[in-house]
Amino acid sequence: MNPTSGLRARLAEAHRDQRVVDAVHLATWRKVEARADAMAGLRHYAALRDRAAQIRQHTLDHLPQYLEQFVERATALGATVHFAANADAACATVCDIAVSRGLKLAVKSKSMTTEEVHLNDALLAAGVRVVETDLGEFIVQIDRDRPSHIITPIIHKDRRQVARAMARELGCPYTEDPAEMTRIARQHLRDIFRRCDLGITGANFAVAETGTLCLVTNEGNGRMTVTRPRVHVALVGIEKIIPRLIDLPVILKLLARSSTGQPLGAYTTLITGPRREGDVDGPEELHIVLLDNGRSRILSGPFREVLRCVRCGACLNACPVYRNVGGHAYNSVYPGPIGSVLSPLLYGRPAEELPRASSLCGLCYQVCPVKIDIPRLLVQLRTATRARQPRGKRLLMRAWAWAMDRPWLYRLAQRLMRRLLPDDGTGWINRDNHLFRRPLRAWTAQRDLLRPPPQSFRELWKGGLGDER
Amino acid sequence: MEVALFATCLTDTFYPRVGQAVVRLLRHFGCRVCFPDGQTCCGQPAYNSGFHAEAAALLHRMTRVFAPYACVVTPSASCAAMVKHHGPPLLADNPPAHEAALRLADKTWEFNTFLRDQLNVDVAGLLRFEEPVTFHYPCHARELYSPADLQGWLRGNGHDVRTPVHADLCCGFGGVFAVEFPEVSGAMLDDKLTELAATGATLVICNEAACALQMMGGARRRGLPLRFKHLAECLAESLGLLEPAA
Amino acid sequence: MSAESHPAPARPGAAALSPLRDFLQRLRRETYRAGPHVPLPASPTHLLREVAPAENLVSRFQTSAAMVGCRVHRVRRDEWLATVRGILRERSARTVLVEPHAETALTAERAAQLSEALEAEGVATSAQCVDESLFAADASVTGVISALAETGTLVCVSSAASARGASLIPPVHIALVSSSQLVADLFDFFERLGAWAELPANVNLITGPSKTADIEGVLVTGVHGPGEVHIVLTAD
Repeated sequence: MNPTSGLRARLAEAHRDQRVVDAVHLATWRKVEARADAMAGLRHYAALRDRAAQIRQHTLDHLPQYLEQFVERATALGATVHFAANADAACATVCDIAVSRGLKLAVKSKSMTTEEVHLNDALLAAGVRVVETDLGEFIVQIDRDRPSHIITPIIHKDRRQVARAMARELGCPYTEDPAEMTRIARQHLRDIFRRCDLGITGANFAVAETGTLCLVTNEGNGRMTVTRPRVHVALVGIEKIIPRLIDLPVILKLLARSSTGQPLGAYTTLITGPRREGDVDGPEELHIVLLDNGRSRILSGPFREVLRCVRCGACLNACPVYRNVGGHAYNSVYPGPIGSVLSPLLYGRPAEELPRASSLCGLCYQVCPVKIDIPRLLVQLRTATRARQPRGKRLLMRAWAWAMDRPWLYRLAQRLMRRLLPDDGTGWINRDNHLFRRPLRAWTAQRDLLRPPPQSFRELWKGGLGDER
Repeated sequence: MEVALFATCLTDTFYPRVGQAVVRLLRHFGCRVCFPDGQTCCGQPAYNSGFHAEAAALLHRMTRVFAPYACVVTPSASCAAMVKHHGPPLLADNPPAHEAALRLADKTWEFNTFLRDQLNVDVAGLLRFEEPVTFHYPCHARELYSPADLQGWLRGNGHDVRTPVHADLCCGFGGVFAVEFPEVSGAMLDDKLTELAATGATLVICNEAACALQMMGGARRRGLPLRFKHLAECLAESLGLLEPAA
Repeated sequence: MSAESHPAPARPGAAALSPLRDFLQRLRRETYRAGPHVPLPASPTHLLREVAPAENLVSRFQTSAAMVGCRVHRVRRDEWLATVRGILRERSARTVLVEPHAETALTAERAAQLSEALEAEGVATSAQCVDESLFAADASVTGVISALAETGTLVCVSSAASARGASLIPPVHIALVSSSQLVADLFDFFERLGAWAELPANVNLITGPSKTADIEGVLVTGVHGPGEVHIVLTAD
């Protein structure tokens, strides 16, 4: 079976959902423009971007040393640091913390690592109720849906779908007004925030020098989550480390601008250990679970650079493929261009065709605040699956390369093509042509094909152009 | 100055007029033009599809074809980018071939940047448009020239240059991508053509044969009255080196 | 390397660390034999500042804070009380949290002055940050430890005198800022923070009101945090 055909069908199917495609177009264009405006106003954009890339790459190149420093510092401050080699271990660690302390109601701030390990399911199975508190994630949760964007989880939904889900699941009066829907969610979640006993977050960064976690949020649910419950658990990918406190502003200056065009997220929260003696509020216990789950394997391979990612989502917004299919089509927690690199590296075979679903237009690299050369990595990943491409395609590629290595054969092919391609009398091959239908169908389904003109350039050259003047 | 023309397989096959324009322009600006007959393809389609051994072999043969020349010019930004940026690492484990690839990378020029940087031609001053124009910026030109550069070349003589809302939007071609994921490629093409049509101009400057194949075929299928021309064709017409196209 | 010869000292949390130590060893062994080693950029970042310390920080802060959705009230030093009262009156606040902090512009003395004035108008005030007062408050009034001209950011920290919830839970947050607290750039702030002997458990950089654009990209303020942030900026 053709491995890309499954993906092709999935993407085509996703594109047929006009409502999703419209919603994603609207939202991504808005973000693309907001980002461009924000960067245009940043005096040292290029230099900051260089430096951010350098800081992230340096950290990855020396990760063991910085991880050790982070663990040292965080532990000294009274945090408990755990290590989870994989998703199961991460879930078991968090469930164990909850169950052994009798914690019953968990609030969650938006976090990609917890999505990656499917922590919610594990906690529910362990008898802990988990409530997503980011508005988008909350709606995803009550509607039993999946997030489709790493920053804007319900980018695929329009307001009517949100309104219906809220009325149905919360029993509130039906309203399509985003402000009113937000107010209803606030009321609902305030009650949860009063009663919760476990707070779960990820972290945008972990500072080795000070043992500090950095969380960037807009709604304030992240702050609530690290303020109200008596236990805070942060699930942090091992690649999130940065060396020094002074490296943080370099990346912060780019992060929110890349995501939403804001100069900074509404809340940048620096967490250094659990609540201090005498503090008025805050969690008594802080657990930091460092998650590997395939990252160390990526570190030791040729794709280390992808771990620079700061999850800003700019590449998703910029991507013309993502814009036309939305996030669900990627079948991965990490959609879009960065997902097409990360998913095959994290999940292997089931995601290995994703790198082919790109026109390599390069906008993802253009907007990446840490200069991950996504198009180059996509091409590199394509080489890995070459042996598993359909036989016909492999043969065709080899035959083509063989012919191109022989100019006489190339010229013959050129002439044959002109002779055999049946046009409609106006120099075009359109979809009504049945001859050669199969190999051409993939092209002519979407566009007509120009018939090569009667003389190729090299024939023009030989026929006089070469001797002019 | 002697210049070897790297016509590219798509221009050779589908757009000979572009090659003709390039030859006449280079001569007009004082170059002696050669066309090494052994040239075929730079290997880009194979490279993009992950068939790197095949791509490396084709690139290697290009280095041999162009070895005798000091300067190579091509009307395609993506083939220039292949030769200049993506190609050489493919030959890294064969030092002599790698050396040759680096030399080819060094001496290869994209046509528009060659006019600007080597021949000091003021394209903006020489071009004549009788109608509003818009343009497609080829994605693979990114390392060679910017959308603003392209706009600058078109903007002289009070021309009505209409910039699409997102000047750097991809046309959806992407090589094998266009036939492996035709639905998505077609959707991207729709987005692109919609923006071009919305400018109200019907003449689109497109300096990339692959993008032109995609967009011309797409516009025709959709019944959009868009016409596509390489900047070299327009410049050659402006200078009387080429009969205006029908 | 070192973990084998020097076993980790026993302290809280150390038990959980042994898999991590094993992992780090393996990572060192397997991953870092070769590979790129990009150097860490030197630390001074003053060349990349958006805002120079010599700029007019007050007007820059005013512009930046307004841009991110704060309402800035730039008043004379002796007008702060009337301004705060005016804001609260306009919002018909019945219960107000007033949280003094010695290192901010809302000193104990000023807080007492404000509380007295509010009580006189029949507004209930509280300085305690226990649950009910926090959730019941219509507004909170706090100081800040610093404010950033570049981004219009307010910085609040946790301590024995200041709760994390004070600038978060009530729907209206009024922050007293004096112009001497303004820092030019994010870099300057982090440089200062790095010089602290010990970081507080919780440092918050607050840039505008709580907001979301999750539903169709429509901007809505006041999701979980305050929907209104007022900055009463006094010169000194």
